[in-house]
Amino acid sequence: MKPTRREFGASALVGLGAKSDRKITGGFVYESQERGHRLRDKARFATPTERVKIPVVIVGGGVAGLSAAWRFQKRGFHDFVILEMEDAAGGNARSGENTVSAYPWAAHYLPVPDHNEVLVRELCQELGLLLPDGTWNERWLCHSPQERLFLHGRWQEGIEPSIGLTKNDAGQYRHFEERIAEWHASGAFRIPMDHGLDQAAAKARALDQITMGEWMRREGLYSPYLKWFIDYSTRDDYGTHMEDISAWAGLHYFAARAPEDKGPLTWPDGNGWIVKRLLAKLAPFVRTQSMVYRIQQQRKTWRILTEKTLYDADFVVFAAPTHFASWLVDPAPPRWPIDSAPWMTANLTLDRWPANHGVEYAWDNVIYNSPSLGYVVATHQNVAMHQDRTVWTYYWALADGSPTDQRRILLGGDWAWWKEKILTDLERAHPDIRQCVSHIDIFRIGHAMPRPVPGTIFHPERLRRARLQGSLVYANCDLSALSLFEEAQSRGVSAADYVLRNISSTGTR
Amino acid sequence: MAVVLFLSVFLIAACGLIYELIAGTLASYLLGDSVLQFSTVIGSYLFAMGIGSWLSRFLDKALVSRFITIELMVGLLGGFSSTILFMAFTYTHAFQFLLYGMVIAIGILVGLEIPLLMRILRERFNFKELVANVLTFDYLGALGASLLFPLILVPKLGLVRSAILFGLINAGVALWSTFLFRAHLPSPIIQRAASIAVVLVLCGGLATADYITDTADAALYSDEVIFAKTTPYQRMVVTKWKQDYRLYLNSHLQFSSRDEYRYHESLVHPGLASVAGARHALVLGGGDGLAVREMLKYPGLQTITMVDLDPEMTRQFSTHPLLVELNSGSLKTSKLKIINADAFPWLEKDNSLFDFVVVDFPDPNNYSLGKLYTTAFYRLLRHHVAQRGVVVVQSTSPMFARKSFWCINETMKQAGFKTYPFHVYVPSFGEWGYVLGALEDWKPPTTLPAGLKFLTPANVASLFEFPPDLAPVAVEANRLNDQTLVRYYEHEWREIVR
Repeated sequence: MKPTRREFGASALVGLGAKSDRKITGGFVYESQERGHRLRDKARFATPTERVKIPVVIVGGGVAGLSAAWRFQKRGFHDFVILEMEDAAGGNARSGENTVSAYPWAAHYLPVPDHNEVLVRELCQELGLLLPDGTWNERWLCHSPQERLFLHGRWQEGIEPSIGLTKNDAGQYRHFEERIAEWHASGAFRIPMDHGLDQAAAKARALDQITMGEWMRREGLYSPYLKWFIDYSTRDDYGTHMEDISAWAGLHYFAARAPEDKGPLTWPDGNGWIVKRLLAKLAPFVRTQSMVYRIQQQRKTWRILTEKTLYDADFVVFAAPTHFASWLVDPAPPRWPIDSAPWMTANLTLDRWPANHGVEYAWDNVIYNSPSLGYVVATHQNVAMHQDRTVWTYYWALADGSPTDQRRILLGGDWAWWKEKILTDLERAHPDIRQCVSHIDIFRIGHAMPRPVPGTIFHPERLRRARLQGSLVYANCDLSALSLFEEAQSRGVSAADYVLRNISSTGTR
Repeated sequence: MAVVLFLSVFLIAACGLIYELIAGTLASYLLGDSVLQFSTVIGSYLFAMGIGSWLSRFLDKALVSRFITIELMVGLLGGFSSTILFMAFTYTHAFQFLLYGMVIAIGILVGLEIPLLMRILRERFNFKELVANVLTFDYLGALGASLLFPLILVPKLGLVRSAILFGLINAGVALWSTFLFRAHLPSPIIQRAASIAVVLVLCGGLATADYITDTADAALYSDEVIFAKTTPYQRMVVTKWKQDYRLYLNSHLQFSSRDEYRYHESLVHPGLASVAGARHALVLGGGDGLAVREMLKYPGLQTITMVDLDPEMTRQFSTHPLLVELNSGSLKTSKLKIINADAFPWLEKDNSLFDFVVVDFPDPNNYSLGKLYTTAFYRLLRHHVAQRGVVVVQSTSPMFARKSFWCINETMKQAGFKTYPFHVYVPSFGEWGYVLGALEDWKPPTTLPAGLKFLTPANVASLFEFPPDLAPVAVEANRLNDQTLVRYYEHEWREIVR
């Protein structure tokens, strides 16, 4: 009905009565760069004081490590520990909470799995997300409105630009969608990705030789809106510009899933919701604050060293980021060829909502041509009608130029500098943002996710490391070069299955 | 003496710039695109000043008295500029027209000031000195204003009060001039009185700056406003016309005392009278107590739980004499337990069972309200309904919002209710609809409490008949992840409301 204009006018009146920038508190969270870099620099570590013999050690308590443990437990195998460097398990699915809401620190949703994704569906059933009658639990499907984009000075529904398109732009959207449908039908792109790789024809392999930007040019796709949308997607999923990313990876994002309109599944704490439920069953196996600094191969076993405990194990599931292996494992494996993208995530606590005009607040709110990825409203899945305070999770992939330089920028700026960057960016769409925000916590992630540049997907070392062999197997999702929950889960479960097969055959149990 | 004169120049220059900044800021705030707004506002303002300067040639006589009149006009117009523009944005569609109209009017008046003042001062100073000093203070005033505006005025006072404050400075300069140039004025008393009057009007504006929203209400409602209150959740307004009292929440009509019995009897009795031996009832929303008033006609009912978001709403309807008269003091009954909470999360936490539930929420005109009409909500609600219990949901108009009405029906069905939609004519609303939901097969009641004004055992069954123009239409259910209802509703009411 009509009163929106009036209501807005009235709210503007109240808002402008007296205004001043609020004092904003906050700081950096989870600063673990130093610990990681001590590993890299082969610093001296304390000698463990206790010694534990255990058949299996899982290194890394992210989704891959927890999924391996989940599988072990479901198969009735309990002789393992998970060693987690941080204070809490969860990896990229960690979350936080304050008096207003829970909120994610990185991964914040799970696409509704299709029928091929058997493992994800199994987990969803267990968590009450997939109901016995085959429907999805509406409570945790992303509520309306899902997405909006700030374009040409106003918000539009959806993040695919739709304001001011020419006929030509619209034609290019269609062209792109047709190509995606063809690639989807080809079966070369699947989740987990290994299922598609087996059937990848030479044509699909060739995509890994060029960048997504180059693919767009070859397809004659040059609509600025479409280019923005594709670049936004590659930054969002890979922390990498479309001009830097392998076309194979760029297309995987669009072509791997069947067109799905009901999803995704999401929670205030993002994928932390899943982690909490996994930990409810797996916490007894998790050793936090246990940074592994050496994994030495003995004659038939492995010796895993933390500053507290030395573990003697028959099998190691290496579920930590794979590039760590070069510093930890002795003898060291060849250099891991996949670089990672730096990210900054911030959780902003707002004491009131910025005045809003037109399209209502969505779950995912994106600003066109912003260097950031926009923000997700952490309280969006809250069913309360009235919410005076909220938390926004704000994402920024540092994708310009080389990751090394970007990491220097990421770590170089102090909190106040990043705070200004964030507010200045948000101010474009919310002029009164500074009167609303009371607290900003910032998470700087130097190595947030694998960066699949051309040549990565079919790189021999990636393929070799992803193969399950020997008594130390890799399981992190970066083996797929795709930072997806489904990949992490699949790698973790496959590693667990491999260990279970071999541990009984060698008779060490 | 000279310093005092040039101080006037300084002040009026500052005022002139402030009005320009206020117009630019307001336009940027309300319309967006600050570069465009500031450029066009500054451009038209400077141009209007040029017109003013040019017009000054036509003023030959009584310069001082003209100067004072101009100051007072600038004071009034500039002082109330942000108030007028806010109101225009809120209540009219002529905001831009008024914006540039005001900018040009103020610009012309401000453009007249300096040339007139220079001519007034001509005799006291030599030309060289005069030009140098006037322009120096003019520019100094501009500097002062441009620093003061963003650093102190906007943060501390806001736009409405800043404008009025500077209007007061203009009026002050006028008043002061009646003393300074006493000799040039034929009757300084009149000018002085006029200046004082303007000062008083502006002071009044300053004191009531916070109540602008309130006075604005009067323009919105055609009837006399007898009660108005803004709570953190909504704005409540009660109007009176003869014996007709009306409650508006966020300017949406909730009831008219002349015909609300039709709405509330229908909301409560077809459902509640059908549940033999009903003991526990729940009202979601309904903080006005009118549904509870109807429920109290069932002596067998032992408890009524009301969940309404706004404590101020239930407090006013429990204590305000006039409002208590409307609901016959129903909120004071000892059977009633009032819980001020958000209904959906409350249902998630609570696990009691009810024999009868009234769901009386505002229409689903946004996504936040739309959540309260979803399959997820009704599924949750179903778990609070006793096996032989009944729920009744107010479901907007099947006439004006036919798809919305049938969408609510479909949504309840998919949530596992057997549904029995019905409708009734409420003159102040039009044709209005409800959906009754039951877990078992249901039949309309054959007996009703005594003393109802609209429903009789004979006419209840007829409410469940739908003529062809209100008949069911194909619709999608409303889900949390796909709120079709909000889209239907928005689309349908857009067709109706002018």
